[in-house]
Amino acid sequence: MTAADPSSLHKDRARGRPFERVLIANRGEIAVRIIRACRDLGIATVAVFSDADSTSPHVRFADEAVRLGPAPAAESYLRGDAIVAAALATGAEAIHPGYGFLAERASFARLVEGAGLVFVGPSSAAIAALGDKLAARRSAAAVDVPVVPGTLEPAPVDRPDQVDRIAAQAREIGFPLFVKAAAGGGGRGMRRVDRVEDLPAALASGSAEAAAAFGDGTVYLERLIGPARHVEVQLIGDRSGRVVALGERDCSLQRRNQKLVEESPAPGLSPGERRALHDHAVRAATAAGLENAATAEFLVDEDRRPWFLEVNTRLQVEHGVTELVADVDLVREQLFVAAGEPLSEAILAAAARATEPPRHAIEVRLSAEDPARGFAPAPGRVGRWSMPSGPGVRVDAAIEPGSRVPADYDPLIAKVLVVDDARDGAIDRLRRALDEVEVTGIQTTLPFHRFVARHPGFRAGDLAIDWVAREWEPVVEADRAQALEAAAWVAAAVAAGGEGSPAGGEGSSAGGEGSSVGRSARPSSAGAADPSPNGTGPTDPAAAWRRAGRLAAADRWPR
Amino acid sequence: MTAIRVVPAPGTGLPEDEPETIVVGASDAAFRVEPWGPGRAVVHGEPGSDCWAWIGADHPATTTRLRTIEVVVDGWRFELAVEDAARADLRRRATRDRDASNASGPLEIRAIIPGRVAAVRVAVGDAVEAGAGLLVVEAMKMQNELRAARAGTIEHVAVAAGDTIELGDLLVVLG
Repeated sequence: MTAADPSSLHKDRARGRPFERVLIANRGEIAVRIIRACRDLGIATVAVFSDADSTSPHVRFADEAVRLGPAPAAESYLRGDAIVAAALATGAEAIHPGYGFLAERASFARLVEGAGLVFVGPSSAAIAALGDKLAARRSAAAVDVPVVPGTLEPAPVDRPDQVDRIAAQAREIGFPLFVKAAAGGGGRGMRRVDRVEDLPAALASGSAEAAAAFGDGTVYLERLIGPARHVEVQLIGDRSGRVVALGERDCSLQRRNQKLVEESPAPGLSPGERRALHDHAVRAATAAGLENAATAEFLVDEDRRPWFLEVNTRLQVEHGVTELVADVDLVREQLFVAAGEPLSEAILAAAARATEPPRHAIEVRLSAEDPARGFAPAPGRVGRWSMPSGPGVRVDAAIEPGSRVPADYDPLIAKVLVVDDARDGAIDRLRRALDEVEVTGIQTTLPFHRFVARHPGFRAGDLAIDWVAREWEPVVEADRAQALEAAAWVAAAVAAGGEGSPAGGEGSSAGGEGSSVGRSARPSSAGAADPSPNGTGPTDPAAAWRRAGRLAAADRWPR
Repeated sequence: MTAIRVVPAPGTGLPEDEPETIVVGASDAAFRVEPWGPGRAVVHGEPGSDCWAWIGADHPATTTRLRTIEVVVDGWRFELAVEDAARADLRRRATRDRDASNASGPLEIRAIIPGRVAAVRVAVGDAVEAGAGLLVVEAMKMQNELRAARAGTIEHVAVAAGDTIELGDLLVVLG
């Protein structure tokens, strides 16, 4: 390593390749994301896949691919033994788990370590210490990090003899409260309880869902803090025990406790508040012996006081937000750290300016879900698929026209990220980027994201974890009905056109001189109207080429 | 005049006798549709509310099915059945009469989403109240409870815990 090298890239070159071959134990966009980081470094990649994914992009992008089994995750992506065997058979030295599936299972990390391979993530001991939310609460409390009030021991489930004891504890914590899964994440196994009578049923159903999702039905109680924002801190540590914070993300816009929109920095925090938050996160992680990438999650209450929730010992879905703000590649850094390298100078420099971030980034998670039906999963086959690009836009996806979005896995289909110097500009850019999205074949969460990008309250930074219920649910039906009316006219025009007349009655009678396409500036809610017409439509009636283009378009109209 | 009916997406739970129908084609049209190359159109509405529409799958009519056209506007996706307005009106009345005579008949509960049956909460012969949990279906890692739309007696249970179900599969018959 020559310390004189100016750029981090040269630095990495000097460090050499962290590994020759890495297996990615995941699917979808995150598998593609990790493969990209590997290929940038010249590392050969091994993909794994289920029968539902045999032609998926992550399989094609990798240098080789190993079949794991049938579509259900339990028979494919959750088969740790088969994944380790695939790594050994292909000569991979390390396994990157991505997020979800086996990423936070200490047993899997142990299996990988036991096979003489490198697990790209925290050690199995750190995963066990932090992945058990109860143990994490205890260890954070021990280093004076403020934890959300609640129990620190497992709650008894289906134990009629202990109902009185847990009910008394619940009364002490105060209602409403949450039943949460010790092994949990993504809101699974989580139940809100408003009355003590509902507690036994909530414990039982929360525990059953947790057992199904994580193989561990342990649950505990935690007070509901509200109104609150969800703010998390990106951490990364190396083998020497050094842990740094790379900034925080506000992930308050959620449904069913799953994130929909994430941004960094968290709006409205002062550098001092930011520093305090980062310090809490670093302390909680250091106490657990963290290395590699992790995220400490907090609730921030109305008085902007942070309350520690948990540490996720994995690369987060929303890691790209931090990458755009801090100008780093977290997956690249994960690989070097996993290979035993110290934190890079680029990371240390980013950590040093984390309390005064130079840019603002926002991510929306485009999912195969119906935002008019409480974000119910909407799997299916994608028809048209076109994602935005251009300045300050990044899209992480693994979908192509014709891709099937299977019901077997998470409904996330694409992450659309934008970055700009300041938050206002980032929101403008988000609105522009979302207007470029074209997806047919499946219902997506796009209507919700478009609504967010135009919402004055969102722009004002008025965020809370009940935002979706408060702002979106009252207007969703009207928003959809407006689109339906327009869609009905389109269907009628297509049907009429199909019966002989070239472009349909309405279409060819366009006479559209002077008409402009202001991209759906429909006021989806009071004050949420888009005042600025989008300039990409046929705005100049005098331009002859536009008229010619329009006629040509009419000629191509499907009959 | 054309009647445009929304084909309920899986799980919308829209009762079949009350489909969302919009009649278009009146001369005082509020919207004008301008084709914009294959699969795209611009919908001109009130000033400032013009929008793009992406046109997807177009399934021709068969003897048993109406022509359906997929249209996506502002991210909202619709499968729209196209029909002559007068004929739609006739059919709607016929359906209503049939349903009125069937109201007390058995109710077939079918899968509204593909997934896996996580638990079966009822057995043949059980009397259930409206809103009672019948099955738990796991799809995309979430558990969804299926509830009885009305009170009745369970006449048939077609699935068992652990079964994989496809869209439209018969699950339970409620008498």
